[in-house]
Parts: sequence; structure tokens; C-alpha cells
Amino acid sequence: MYLWLLAAGLTLVFGVLGVLNFAHGSLFMLGAYAAFTFYGKLNINFGLSILLSLISVGIIGAILERFFIRRIYDLDLPYQLILTFGFILIFDDLVKMVWGGVAMIPPMPGFLEGNLTVLGRPYPFYNIFIIFAGLAVALVLWLILEKTWWGRMIRASASDREMAGAIGINIPFLFTTVFVLSAMLAALGGALGTPVRVVAPGIGTAMIIQAFVITVIGGLGNLKGAFVGALIVGILTSFGILLFPIFELFIIFVVMAIVLMVKPEGLFGK
Amino acid sequence: MAKNISRRKFLKNAVIGGAAIGSGLGSYQITYGQAKKPTGPIKIGGQGAVSGAHADYGWQMIAGSTMAIEEINAKGGVSGRKLELKFMDEELKPATAVKNARYLVTDWGADVLFGVDSSGCAMALGPVLAELNRVHIFCHAATHRLTEELVAQRRIPQIFRISVPTYQDGILPALIMKDFPEIKRWAGIHEDYEYGYVAWNTFKETMKKVRPDVEFVSIAWAPFWTMDFSSHIAAVMAEKPDAIHTTKWAGEGVMLLRQALTMGVFDNIKVWWQCMGGSVDVLQGIAREVEADKFKGKLWASARYIHNYPVTPENRAFVEKFIKRWGKYPNYSAETSYSSIYVIKAAIEKAKSLETAKLVAAIEGMEIMTPAGKRYFRPEDHQAVYNVPGGRVIKSPDYPLPILGDLRVIPANDYYRHPPFTPISATK
Repeated sequence: MYLWLLAAGLTLVFGVLGVLNFAHGSLFMLGAYAAFTFYGKLNINFGLSILLSLISVGIIGAILERFFIRRIYDLDLPYQLILTFGFILIFDDLVKMVWGGVAMIPPMPGFLEGNLTVLGRPYPFYNIFIIFAGLAVALVLWLILEKTWWGRMIRASASDREMAGAIGINIPFLFTTVFVLSAMLAALGGALGTPVRVVAPGIGTAMIIQAFVITVIGGLGNLKGAFVGALIVGILTSFGILLFPIFELFIIFVVMAIVLMVKPEGLFGK
Repeated sequence: MAKNISRRKFLKNAVIGGAAIGSGLGSYQITYGQAKKPTGPIKIGGQGAVSGAHADYGWQMIAGSTMAIEEINAKGGVSGRKLELKFMDEELKPATAVKNARYLVTDWGADVLFGVDSSGCAMALGPVLAELNRVHIFCHAATHRLTEELVAQRRIPQIFRISVPTYQDGILPALIMKDFPEIKRWAGIHEDYEYGYVAWNTFKETMKKVRPDVEFVSIAWAPFWTMDFSSHIAAVMAEKPDAIHTTKWAGEGVMLLRQALTMGVFDNIKVWWQCMGGSVDVLQGIAREVEADKFKGKLWASARYIHNYPVTPENRAFVEKFIKRWGKYPNYSAETSYSSIYVIKAAIEKAKSLETAKLVAAIEGMEIMTPAGKRYFRPEDHQAVYNVPGGRVIKSPDYPLPILGDLRVIPANDYYRHPPFTPISATK
């Protein structure tokens, strides 16, 4: 489900803005650090900390889009890679300067402790909470994109940027909001994970590769594809560890290769 | 004006030329005459992981070695010469480590080298040291092959290791856990690289010898920097083990333990052995859980040095000074790099020279008192032999963070591997 949140933002930005944002993992990391600071350091309530972390990373996202990403929409893909990859390095080092290099972990929120016995196996409450959070985000995203005026504008500019601009949609502003939404999704993934995962420099890059695999399997720029892709990758990894511990690592890449061969545009790609 | 300048330039050139001739003559005299007393500082070049997710390990090395050098310099240095440190970032990349070593020796002029976190970097660096001809004291990189293959077999005498080899985390836990007759079913969650393979294989081998009734029921391999261990834990727990042995270290170790708690693992097992769990960063990460007794006293750990052992004046002084100087507890890298500097000092004083061959001879067979206790550099493979106990993770009223208590000391010389070295199976 963390993967879904990460992949959703990645695919959204690619679908609408046409930008492959390598620094997306860094936004995930910043979300985790922000949540850790509010919740673990300043002892703010868990829910409120997550909200605050979303807002702060959203602001960073807005700055990133307005002053940097916006300048390269018309340039080739390699420029996007260089710019966003540069931001990975900058954010990694920035984080180290502010929070230091040691991995940190805040306490578990009390109401999410403990576990439930499902089919004879203990299953942590926290994971159940994450699953519902992920589903809720999926539902909200679907509602926004399909049912609201803003969602319609996004879909319009994703399919034809010039035409959308011609009929009076403020494209630059719309793009900023989409990028902010994507940054907040990444931050949510990072923030939700803090009590069971450590925050450390480099956690973003550890996640981003899987997120890319997911978006490729599901179809670049396709939200439904990202959701199904995240489920596929999650399930494959779990069963891989259980059944083929020797080579669980490359199973997801094999699946990705097969998808690319059979349906290069991804399972849900157009 | 123009004339003036050219005259000045001429004079300057003449002076430089004269100096060059003079120094040339000087060196001529040194070669044939008796030794000129060397001046300037003794240069010590170090490297470790100073960037990336494990940057704290490199920082600990800088902190430990800096403190040792400050102490030594305050007392007048070594043979009247001050020590000077330059520390570089190995980035955990073998190519970078080799480049750093070449720079430190040929450009900067390092007399001795120390450091290195990654085993991969250490193995790449080994053959280069023979060519650079500088003593290198490794203070973290733990692969047994560094000393067994490169020193004992390929005879690269410049390599020394002051910290424990990887099999410490396999053999020691097996020897301690053999005394728990009720634990019969062992499972593993391990690093998916050489460290995990060696620790698990030596653990199994040793255990089979001392406890033939023990079974190894399941194993899960998790690649470096895994974020979600729930599938690994579920896979292993499905076989209902009595105990779990794991090599996940640093931040990953903390994550694994935290996730195991959420899955109720500690209600169902008797012992969890966390290799390198005695490192301060891990103990800090699980401090709250230990305080709340979430692990129910079932969490055991090994380490490469722990700050509460041995109880000696040397160790106490080191820990107190370190906390005063840096504001936190030293982990093992801090101790090993601190002690490396003192080994270098002792070697130079004994050899009365900076010549590599003489330094090697001085360190071979050296016995030296360090914060971690008495260390002995055995001549056959240049591995330092010293005791690091395993123990139970507990909360002590004397310390702000959890410590290892219930310590089981087994003399290192009894369980370290001895030549002729047979290869350890380093595969899954």
C-alpha cells in the first residue's frame, strides 16, 4: 500500500505533466522525516503530524514545480532525468545535514498497537490501518478525477494540453496543483510508514525502483494500472519470499519484462 | 617601473633556483650520509562511509580516531612528531576506496592507513596496498577472506584487522545458545549477501557439532535495505521456530525488530538473536521497547565491541571521554578506529621508523591494551584476537540506553578459525 501511494503520485505526474520525476522518492523521504519531526520529536498527535507533513511537503512540491520543473516541460526527457536526479542528491544531503545520518524511528501510536488473528496467524493492526488508508486514498482520487470540475480539467489537459489551454484552463496553475497533489501522496506514503519503518537518508531511493516497476507494469500515467501494479508487486514479493527464497528478488523484474514484451504499453496502458 | 619588476623577478628566480640546488644537495647528503632527523607531522590517512544511509558508521570512525590523535598530540605526539589525519569518503564503492588510498599515499603522502566499512571495498583495496606498500588497519570491514585469503594465503603483509571477522556472528551465538536445551528449532532472517551467508552457515555448522538434536527449520533472505519484513517474518514463523537468528544490522535491524513486535513474534518464540544488535545505534532505536519490556527478555545480541564491557579503567576512561567530547556513546567503529591510532603509535615507537616492513614486524604478534580489552595481532593472518561477549538486551539503571547484560564471555582464541583455513560456504 505504501507502494501504491508512491506509484500513484509518480504516475499522476507522468500522465498529466509528462515528467518522469525521479525525485519522487525523495519527496517520500521528506514526508517521513517531516512526520518523524512532528510526531516523534515535537510529540504532536499522530494524525495531525501526518497532515502537517503533507502540507509541508506539498509546499516543497509547489516550489519544485514552479521554479524548476516548469522550465523543462518543453525539453527532452534526458533533461528531466538530470534535473530530478540532481534533486535526489540534494535532498539526501540536505536531510543528512538537518537530521544526521543515523536511522531514527518514532514510537508506535498506542491505538494501533497489537495484532489480530487472521486465519490462525497474527496480523498487525498497523498493517490493517495502512490497507484501509490506501483504499481510502484510491477512492478519494477516483472521486476527484472522475466527479469534480478540477478532475475534469486535469483529464482534459492530460489528453490535449494546447486545446485545454485554448478553452481557458490555466494550465501552469493546474500543473502546479497536480504536482503538489503528487508530492502529498508521496509524503503520505512516507509519513504513514514512520512508526514501523525507520527514517533514514536513502529510504526514498530504496522505494523508487519498485514504484517504477509498478508504473511500468500498470501502464505509465494510468492510476488504475498503478493500483493493480502495486498489488501485483506486493503479492509477488510476499509469495516469492515464501516459495522461492533463492530468487524472490528478480521475480518482479521477470513479470515486468513479460509485460513489456507482451503489452509494452502496460496492462492498462492506452 | 618595468625594469624594477624584471629585476625583482630575476632575483626571485635566482633565489628559487638556489634553493632547488641546495635541497638537491641536501637529499644527496641524506642518501649517503647518516639519517637527517625527519620533521613535520606523521600522516595518517583514513576512509569510511561518510555519506549515504550508513554515514553514521564513518562518522564514528572520524570521532574515534580524532579523539585518539588529539590525546596523543596533547602529550607531544609520537617520537616528537605530531599526528595528522585526513579522512575520506569510501562511499561503500570499491573503486572509490582504491582511488582514495592511491590519493592518500601518492598525493597527500600518508605514512599509514586505516578505516574502511565495506568488505567489498576492503577486498578491492588489499592487492593495491601491496603495491602502495603502506600498513592498513581495517577497523570495520569484516569478511573473513580479507585476512584468510589476502594475508594468510596471498601474503599481503600490509593488511591488519583490529575488529572481529564475520563469523563472530555465527560461531559465538551458537556456542552461547547451545546451553539452552529447550531451544531445538532455529530459523534465520538474513542479509542477502556474503555477511548473511557466512554468519548463517557458520552458525549452523557450529550448532550441528555441539547440539546434534537441533533443527534448522526455515530461512528468509532479505536484500540490503529492505523496508517491509512482514513477508519474511510470516514465512519464517510459519514453521513455528523456537528461536530466530538474524544479521539485519543498523536501521534495518531496528525496522525488523519493530515489525516483528507488531506481528506478535515475541509471544511465540523463546529467543531472538540479533547479530550486531549490541551496536549503539540499534540499542538507541529500540530503547523504548526495551524499557516497556516488549521483548520479554528474549532478545539477545552480539557485537564487535560494547561500551559496557570490559569493566576496566581503560574502557571507562574511553567511554567517558568520548561522551564528553562528542555527546553520544561510542559504537564499535569508534572504538576500533580509536584503538587503531594507538596501535599505529605503538608500532612506530617499537619500530623507531615509518618503514612499512618494520611497522609490519612491529604489529605482528603485538599485544596491546585497548578499551575493548587486550588485543593480540596473530602473525599468521594479522587478525586481532580479543573477546567480545554476547548477551541479553536489558535496561540498566546506570545507563540511559539499553545495554547488553547477562554477558557470556567465550575466549576468542578458542573459537576463531585457525590456519590452514578451509573455505566457508558463502552461498545461500
